[in-house]
Amino acid sequence: MNDYRWEDLSLGMRVQFEVPLTEDMMTVFAAISGDLNPLHLDEAYARQNGFPGRVAFGMLTSSLYSRLVGMYLPGKRALLQGIDVEFKRPAHIGDVLTVSGEVTYLNEAYRRVELKGQIVNPAGKLISTAKIRVGVHE
Amino acid sequence: MNAAAIMAELQPIFSDVLDLPGLQLTPQSNATNVEGWDSLAHVNLVVAIEKRFGIKFALGELRDLKNVGEMVDLIQKKTER
Repeated sequence: MNDYRWEDLSLGMRVQFEVPLTEDMMTVFAAISGDLNPLHLDEAYARQNGFPGRVAFGMLTSSLYSRLVGMYLPGKRALLQGIDVEFKRPAHIGDVLTVSGEVTYLNEAYRRVELKGQIVNPAGKLISTAKIRVGVHE
Repeated sequence: MNAAAIMAELQPIFSDVLDLPGLQLTPQSNATNVEGWDSLAHVNLVVAIEKRFGIKFALGELRDLKNVGEMVDLIQKKTER
């Protein structure tokens, strides 16, 4: 876990990490969310509807933005204050997703950092983008 | 930029950040008489205002503000520098 202090942060600072999207993650997220939509859980149904396989929950892949701020940038001192996510295309089990974040704004008065986040699939195509607002505590 | 012009710029910022399309901002508006103006919304407002006017506030400047009218005065001072 990173532990960037407010003073350590600067515009353009960037982090990146990879996460393989697994069957287990889908099962656990279905249980947590109670979202049992067959597009996420039924391979045949997903294929019948034009997808190459089960579609990963958008909120599952977006939960990686929580890891982005809580573990990487700024890490330990983060308090997630808001996030606007735009979904671009589906992700699928087996995809190794690349999650990245870049500091785009720093508000000194309230120690709020803003990040531009994005998740891309192995082909380099966008899964989602996010505008993320994070407080940085002492 | 004069006070009226600054107020005109603030109106859509407050409406958007507080999600209050019908909000009628006045110089007397403050966190006690505007719905949803809580501490987190306040941070969002300050950041949106900084970006719109290309200025940066110090915490001490913000602590002294009692209402939107005083915010307008502060913006006017900072944009004239």
